Amino acid sequence: MGDSGRRSSRARKVSQRISTVSLAERENAKNARLDALENDDATGEGVVGDSDEEFVMQDSDEDLELGESAARKRKEKKKGAKRKTRAMLEAERRGPITFASLLEMAGDAEEGPAKEAEVMYMGAAVGPPQHSATRKWCSVCGFAAPYKCVRCGSRFCTRKCYAVHVETRCLKFVG
Amino acid sequence: MGHQPVIVLDNGGCSCKIGLAGQSEPYRVFPNAIGRAKGERQSFVGDQLLSYRDASSLVLRRPLDRGYLVNWDVEKAVWWRAFKSLLQVQPQDCSLLMTEPPFNLPSIQSSTLQMVFEEYGFSSFAALPAQPLSLRAWAAERPDLPAAAAGVGVVVDAGFSFTHAVPLCDGRVLWPSVRRINLGGKALTNYLKELVSYRSINMMEETYLVEHIKDAVCFVSADLKADLAAARAGTHKLEYVLPDGVNEQLGHVRQPQPKERGKPSDKSNREQVLMLNNERFMVPEVLFQPSDIGLQQAGLAQTIVDAVEAAHPDLHPLLYSNVVCTGGSARCPGFRERLYNELRPLVPDDIEVGVHMPADPVLAAWKGASAYGMTSDYHQHAISKAHYEEVGCDILLNLTPGAAKTAATEYYTSSG
Repeated sequence: MGDSGRRSSRARKVSQRISTVSLAERENAKNARLDALENDDATGEGVVGDSDEEFVMQDSDEDLELGESAARKRKEKKKGAKRKTRAMLEAERRGPITFASLLEMAGDAEEGPAKEAEVMYMGAAVGPPQHSATRKWCSVCGFAAPYKCVRCGSRFCTRKCYAVHVETRCLKFVG
Repeated sequence: MGHQPVIVLDNGGCSCKIGLAGQSEPYRVFPNAIGRAKGERQSFVGDQLLSYRDASSLVLRRPLDRGYLVNWDVEKAVWWRAFKSLLQVQPQDCSLLMTEPPFNLPSIQSSTLQMVFEEYGFSSFAALPAQPLSLRAWAAERPDLPAAAAGVGVVVDAGFSFTHAVPLCDGRVLWPSVRRINLGGKALTNYLKELVSYRSINMMEETYLVEHIKDAVCFVSADLKADLAAARAGTHKLEYVLPDGVNEQLGHVRQPQPKERGKPSDKSNREQVLMLNNERFMVPEVLFQPSDIGLQQAGLAQTIVDAVEAAHPDLHPLLYSNVVCTGGSARCPGFRERLYNELRPLVPDDIEVGVHMPADPVLAAWKGASAYGMTSDYHQHAISKAHYEEVGCDILLNLTPGAAKTAATEYYTSSG
């Protein structure tokens, strides 16, 4: 199909609706989900807060005998609470530092301890399983699932679970 | 010569363990995070979270990302509070001994050095990988085990951000043999959160609470097939009564109550109940088979075998005889037994397999560090502030790639 160029608009529409999600897209969705498992919180609210200032305020009455750097900081504080250094602005623009970005930076180095650490880190990740096949669990109830959704590839065990799946999750994360 | 007090800090992804060297227990264990209730200005730092009454809608910021210390804004606040308010010490009069993850990046090491000396002004500092310290604590706990006494073993560190199998010989980490699964307690919590949110009540915003639920209800299945059948029959069903914010702050577990037909009482109308069934054991199951959630990595037992086989063949019997489980996820009931049952078939049958767990798997690293902080060895290897100021952190890190590693390797040989 598709080579004749005679498909009607209706036929195209139907094929869109019953189209399956490609393997690559399924893979992407899976990786995104795995990544989400490492996140601190589902919402971004806490991540970008300006809460630094609050913490310094809390400490400021106690740091009388701290080191020089703290004293200097306090002076800066007195000059103007809202004042931000160029480095701070720069940091704000870049957003929070993640381990992935640091790892990438280490990997970009030609040689030396940074590169060495990156190579060691990557090499330590254990490979795929050798003694066991992937087990198949129902994406709805969690029990053994013999069937697979033809559209998105999620597993399900019974018609009941399939109905729930179609209603809630099917194609939600992919395509 | 009298030494300065040594602060021992096990800076974990989930919790900070802090205390003074030489003591048997850490002074305090508290979340390594800053929490803030949704929509409120006030933040709670570290141990304040322990006494914070309302666990619902708490948004946590953690300084560690994938097990590595990256967010200094958060860590700074947590540490200041720990040093000043909890321990009530002046950093410049103390030495700091802290744990670091395996394969710590030089960029992270140097920012740590900078922070320790310039922000806090400690008089000396050393960072060591946690696993040899755990083994040291384990050797002190079980002096009768020949492998432990010799400093040989595999430390299985099922932490918050990842799970490591770390083979050690003579107290030294065999770095090329270390293996890692990119899964830890945080992923398990988030997985449980995702499951219950889909199946019963939306808990996506309640990470802190789900963590408690995980600790309260999860267990490692000894026989998955049987447990799944039992779950289908309903024997594993548990109810978790969610906190109402008035009488209860963290909620509690209860046995499922038979549904009464007719009018429900007022009380049951008000309380929200989370039903848990096969999630209880399917969640920790992921550690033993990460492919369940689509992560193409081997399970825990295979990881240990991979790690041991990368070591010298002569070491294999000793390594297998002393597999020590540490870390928060190892506390899950049934963890040790399941690991033994999975490991046994993978190991040649003339080799004895011993899977052990210290009395408190979470504190093992801290206890080892506490003992190490008392040795003269530590004081020799710690980097002093004067030395740091003289040469700067780049030179320190370049001269001794992982200054910590050298220290870790040598304390065993000298302390015997």
